[in-house]
Amino acid sequence: MTSALRPARRNWRVRLRRDRSLLLMTVPAVVLLLLFNYVPLFGLVTAFQEYDPLSGVSGSPWAGLYQFERLFGDPLFWGAVRNTLYLSFVQLVLFFPVPIALALLLNTVLSERVRNFVQSVVYLPHFFSWVLAVTIFQQMLGGAGALNQFLRANDIGTWAVMTNPDTFALLVTSQLVWKEAGWGIIVFLAALAAINTDLYEAAAADGAGRWRRLWHITLPGLRGVIVLLLVLRLGNSLTVGFEQFLIQRDAVGHDTADVLDTFSFYFGIATNDYSYGAAAGLFKGVISLLLIWGANKLAHAFGEDGLYRK
Amino acid sequence: MGIELNRRSFLNASIAAAGLVAAGPLLSACGGSAAQRAGVNSEAGLKAVLPAHVPLTSIKPDIPSVAGGPDVLTDPGFLSYPANRVATVPAIPGRGGKYSAVVPLWGTIPPADNAFYQAMNKALGVELEMKPADGNTYNTIVSTMTAAKRLPDWINLPSWWNPNFNTGGLVGNQLADLTPFLSGDNVKKYPNLAAIPTAAWRAGAWGDKLYGIPSFSSGFVVAGTTFYRRDVLEAKGITADQVRSAEDLMNLGKELTDAKAGVWAFDDVYTYLYTAFGAPLKWKVDNGKLVHLYETDQFYEALDWHHRLATAGYVHPDALAGDQAGTTRFYAGKVLIAGGGTGAWNLADHQNGVAANPNYRRGAFDFFAADGKSAPRVDMGPATSIVSYLNASLKPEQIEELLAVANYLAAPFGSAEYTAVNFGVEGTHFTTSGGVPTPTDAGRKEVQAQTYPFLASPAQVISNQTAQGVTRDLAAWQAANAKALAKPVFWGMNVSMPQAQATAEAAQAVTDTIKDCYRGKKKVQEVKDAVATWKGSGGGDRLIQWMTDNVLQKYGTGQ
Repeated sequence: MTSALRPARRNWRVRLRRDRSLLLMTVPAVVLLLLFNYVPLFGLVTAFQEYDPLSGVSGSPWAGLYQFERLFGDPLFWGAVRNTLYLSFVQLVLFFPVPIALALLLNTVLSERVRNFVQSVVYLPHFFSWVLAVTIFQQMLGGAGALNQFLRANDIGTWAVMTNPDTFALLVTSQLVWKEAGWGIIVFLAALAAINTDLYEAAAADGAGRWRRLWHITLPGLRGVIVLLLVLRLGNSLTVGFEQFLIQRDAVGHDTADVLDTFSFYFGIATNDYSYGAAAGLFKGVISLLLIWGANKLAHAFGEDGLYRK
Repeated sequence: MGIELNRRSFLNASIAAAGLVAAGPLLSACGGSAAQRAGVNSEAGLKAVLPAHVPLTSIKPDIPSVAGGPDVLTDPGFLSYPANRVATVPAIPGRGGKYSAVVPLWGTIPPADNAFYQAMNKALGVELEMKPADGNTYNTIVSTMTAAKRLPDWINLPSWWNPNFNTGGLVGNQLADLTPFLSGDNVKKYPNLAAIPTAAWRAGAWGDKLYGIPSFSSGFVVAGTTFYRRDVLEAKGITADQVRSAEDLMNLGKELTDAKAGVWAFDDVYTYLYTAFGAPLKWKVDNGKLVHLYETDQFYEALDWHHRLATAGYVHPDALAGDQAGTTRFYAGKVLIAGGGTGAWNLADHQNGVAANPNYRRGAFDFFAADGKSAPRVDMGPATSIVSYLNASLKPEQIEELLAVANYLAAPFGSAEYTAVNFGVEGTHFTTSGGVPTPTDAGRKEVQAQTYPFLASPAQVISNQTAQGVTRDLAAWQAANAKALAKPVFWGMNVSMPQAQATAEAAQAVTDTIKDCYRGKKKVQEVKDAVATWKGSGGGDRLIQWMTDNVLQKYGTGQ
């Protein structure tokens, strides 16, 4: 691909012939994507119906925008939107920087054995299910958990960590950090490894200290990856998790724990009100699309690659 | 539970109005289209066709049944397995016919054509091909068969899925009418079927005709009760008869809770206790007017009491946090009082409990009225939910052959036939030690995963062979409480309603708030606010109106 010709001018047949083995390799992935991500999109039709699974999509009557009228008039729905945005913001501020910091720290550890050990330990929780993760938190910090039984035994008074609606956002974010931060460092470690070590030597020779090297070499080297992940994170900001909230919903009450996904589940699927759930899901999808488009535009405006190179 | 209001969504309001409602005790006749319905049972018409009831006397229980109100009868108790395994079916019932049968199975599916099936075919005199299917996904399996009109010769359709199966549309269409064979005295040709209590046959009757054969019927069906750790409480000198009111129970909370030691008096108890305050299960009729649970003062009294129970610190923190592992806490003695279904009171429970604590003993408080003065009352459920049907394409002589097979399968507890159906072949599938049939490995694999009883089985008995104490305790509790059981309004009626009503009936926002309230996180007033919203924009008032117009006024209360 070293041709001096600009690709757009190339005949697409030539490109097809040249890239055919690459294209062939992507076919299975494309088929999977079509089958499981695009074909089900037709189910969105139910959002404009009074859907009945026994009658099927073709046999269910049309309801126009009725489901959306119900949705926008439902205070519980707006509560779920509010919770989602709030949790998303808290996660962005408190969770997003953690893997970057961890990766930078790990990168400074010289002993390979120590590094591998730490890396394995922080990876591990990623493979736990949310049920297990929440159970561990409950056993340690719950009302009858290790911490509170210790406090009780010493007559200090108890601390409702797991059931306090006011600190729920902090609780779920710390659960997220514990479970996923270790996994999140992988991509940053890879980016760090790609930074040319000559730059560090040259900078050190010029008298740059540790912080200056971090600021002028390491962080600029990571910038592309950070921006890419930030764009993806913003686009996904209405997806803050599902099982985590489903499991802990009873602990803090539905008005604190309901996010858009659990709202769709409880008020759509669990009550057989499928069309209503589909409407809530479609709303979420459209907003997410706008967010990811906006974030990508912003990235391009700052001269970054974003999701794709312009 | 007495009233199984199902949440099926039927969109077409005209279809719904045309008669998705079923009345007469039990039966819903809801079809996918109006033309298919079997119709609704009328009390008089149904009485004329219900099979005669001829109790069997050949095998005497150690603890006889006790009668309560109408259709209430405690399950008989057996302390030992009958040593003399009486034969109740004199000849081989079948004449060599070839049939297929599909039943739900909650467990590991046994291998096809195994030694047990072969032995059963020999004993039954038919080639009955058993095809058990996973109970958890059973509803989806059946609908593909009915859509293709390819039901097996004999199939079990649990009644809680009637709306999914469209059973009301299948009877008389794909499922055979058994009325000519079983109605009235006709059933006497099949003595073991005649021994099944009359109330159970209602579960399979549609449009004043008999279609289904009931399994696992019982005259003592309640949703659940309030259990306690009898070993622990009695060691403290507390006996169940000291608990006669909600106040007594609240006092127990103070007495039993020792948070420092990690012991709390209560797990979740609301679900099976709120009716003690005089609140209906879901509906009641007051001076001819239909009243929903959420409209009653007693409901708010119950909530207030449960809210106080939680905020007083008598409920285990994990239970308040919505953790579902209450049974583990009960075994471990971390909680001493917990609500639960009566199905929990059995041999397996005893074994699990004793594994945690050798003194483990489950007990249940007698039903009481919260004020301590009124007569205790608890809503009863339908006599069975497990019903099997025969294929409409069978010839009359084939139906007779399968009914003779059903008669064999319904042989009473402890009979030779019962032993064959439930334990298999002696020597191969079980050995007898100390008079108790004990399954071998082959028996566990092929027989203990129950299949044939889902086609037909005798009425329930209480029997826990290696734990006679459990049998005694449960039988004594049933006998003490038989008088408290009463039929709620719409007893056993399946009410299928249009989508909007079904959604309102589910009242998700209210049930969520209720949970938060009895777990101490929300005040009763907040439930009242949620109910006010529910009645208005949540469709509650429209639901009550719909139930009044389409159920109460058309079919009465079914009581």
